[in-house]
Amino acid sequence: MILGIGFEDPFLVGLIALAALMGLILVGVRVVFAAATVGLFGLIELLGWGPAAGVVGTIPHSKSSTYALSVLPMFIFIGFLAFHAGMTQQLFDAARKWVGWVPGGLAVATIFATAGFAAVSGASTATAAVFSRVAIPEMLKYGYDRKMAAGVVAAGGTLATLIPPSAIIVIYAIIVEESVGALLLAGFLPGIVSALIYAGIIIVWAMIKPEHAPAVTGYTWGDRIKSLPGVSPIFAVVAIIISAIYAGWATPTEAGALGAAVVFGIALLRGTSFSAIRGSLMESAKLTVMIFSLIWGVLIFVRFLGFSGLPEAFTTWIVSLDVPPMVIMICILLAYAVLGMFMDAIGMLLLTLPVVYPAVTALGFDSIWFGIIVVKMAEVCLITPPIGLNCFVVNGVRPDIALTDVFRGIALFFVADVITIAVLLAFPEIVTWLPDLMRN
Amino acid sequence: MSDSTDSNGALAGASRALEPLENAANMVAAVAILLLMVLGVAQIILRTAFNTPITGYIDLVELSMASMAFLGAAYCQRLGAHIRMELLVGRVRGRNLWAMEVFGTLVAMFIIGVLIWYSAGHFWRSYTLGDTTIDAEFPVWPSKLIVPIAFTIWWLRLALQLFGYLRLFLDPSKAKVAVVTVKDVAEQAQDEIHEATGGVSTDDGESRT
Repeated sequence: MILGIGFEDPFLVGLIALAALMGLILVGVRVVFAAATVGLFGLIELLGWGPAAGVVGTIPHSKSSTYALSVLPMFIFIGFLAFHAGMTQQLFDAARKWVGWVPGGLAVATIFATAGFAAVSGASTATAAVFSRVAIPEMLKYGYDRKMAAGVVAAGGTLATLIPPSAIIVIYAIIVEESVGALLLAGFLPGIVSALIYAGIIIVWAMIKPEHAPAVTGYTWGDRIKSLPGVSPIFAVVAIIISAIYAGWATPTEAGALGAAVVFGIALLRGTSFSAIRGSLMESAKLTVMIFSLIWGVLIFVRFLGFSGLPEAFTTWIVSLDVPPMVIMICILLAYAVLGMFMDAIGMLLLTLPVVYPAVTALGFDSIWFGIIVVKMAEVCLITPPIGLNCFVVNGVRPDIALTDVFRGIALFFVADVITIAVLLAFPEIVTWLPDLMRN
Repeated sequence: MSDSTDSNGALAGASRALEPLENAANMVAAVAILLLMVLGVAQIILRTAFNTPITGYIDLVELSMASMAFLGAAYCQRLGAHIRMELLVGRVRGRNLWAMEVFGTLVAMFIIGVLIWYSAGHFWRSYTLGDTTIDAEFPVWPSKLIVPIAFTIWWLRLALQLFGYLRLFLDPSKAKVAVVTVKDVAEQAQDEIHEATGGVSTDDGESRT
């Protein structure tokens, strides 16, 4: 048709379209426009202008108005409100009282505090920004190594996406048509395992070089108990979402709404101004429309991909390879690691999953397990050069800690992430145990 | 972020004139998010405590999704928040950069233009046929109408950006008007810090809308 290839070879059209999409994205066309345009032209090639444009015109509305997606604005809103509910200081204080006594106590406390806050805020980089102010001055006061202090804050934020509520996990679930609830549950334990492995690395570091990270002691059990009420909203939000999905007393959207209402109430109680609330709402709306645009844009492309038969062809090729599936999996993960250095995590997942996911499931991997691994992979890219946005954030808040020092401080946490991914590859039950319990 | 150092020209004026509309549309989306929260909590309370779930709750949520999914699109565009890969555009300067931006904006205007037309058709069919949701029988057309409306505002913003980029392409020495500039990682980091901590940290005096 317009490209003169004719639709006798949809596969070739698919390949050309894939190349065109990559080209457009490389020259900086925003992903939604690139995906939708290539998808439209691909469909025109295969179906003709009228039917193609007709189909494309219905996709934005029909794909956006689904109940499963309504959980996204709720999780996003919780995230923006969390900063106004201002539990960061309390979280850090509580964490230091509970775990300050271990070697590298303040750093371990920072990991748990950032993990808790990031979980609720869902924003890795913003969490790093906030804790650079809260935790780094304290650690430096106790004589902690600057590289460690910076690294801990930059790394802790990356735990955001695994522990529910997590927007990116919802997006994965929608794209691969898996249960949103099952995936949200699946992220919980790997998030905890990640945090524990970070803590383990710090403790080992502190035992080898105690002068880098002294323990802080002297807190009584009374102090510890008293520190809990201040941080209970964080636990409440995570508990509401996990228990609602696990026990089925509310849908993810309803649980998200309740979680948002809790954080909203606390923000109001703390005297958050009207303009700050309005600001959170405007930011939530902006991020929501950004994510929804990506979703429908990519789904237009996916509709075309379905017609082209490219995903099936890729799957057939992958399955026919005479290589152990685990080796293919590791190659896929390495490809994500490289791609993630140059691209936003959500965009990367949306663009690659329609082709990669069918192949992965055909190789016999569990779809929920793969989702958690991929999301973890995407987060690792937030701390690796050359982009490593979290590291830039820490350096931006604390210009006195050089960027090279932040990257040096983060190196060990990168090792920790590699260990975490290896653990999840070796023991997939860590991921699948909770969702399996729910299903049975 | 639009830069308004050259605040007198017609382009700057048009850009400013569109801002209230974009802000209002995004605000409607924001209010819809707030209402979705209230509705969700009400549904939990009514169902568990009084055993009377809201009739047509799921239909209502699905119909309201359009306002959250689309109305903020132009606002998001003005602030440059739609995702792109900045590997290349981040390194190019001057006329080459503006040429790339003109191209990207033309692609955007083309696809959004097509979508305005065909999503309007989608709405019109629904309106003339009197489509309703399956469960509670709410009319579907108001929700579908949101798409062409939001996309039209989006298209207008893109058109303004096209003029802005063309102007800079013709004369890269001019002040930046009605365009979004690419930020490097350090600047993005500053933005994140700014958003997270409520404006304490940026020292460039940049104002945010």
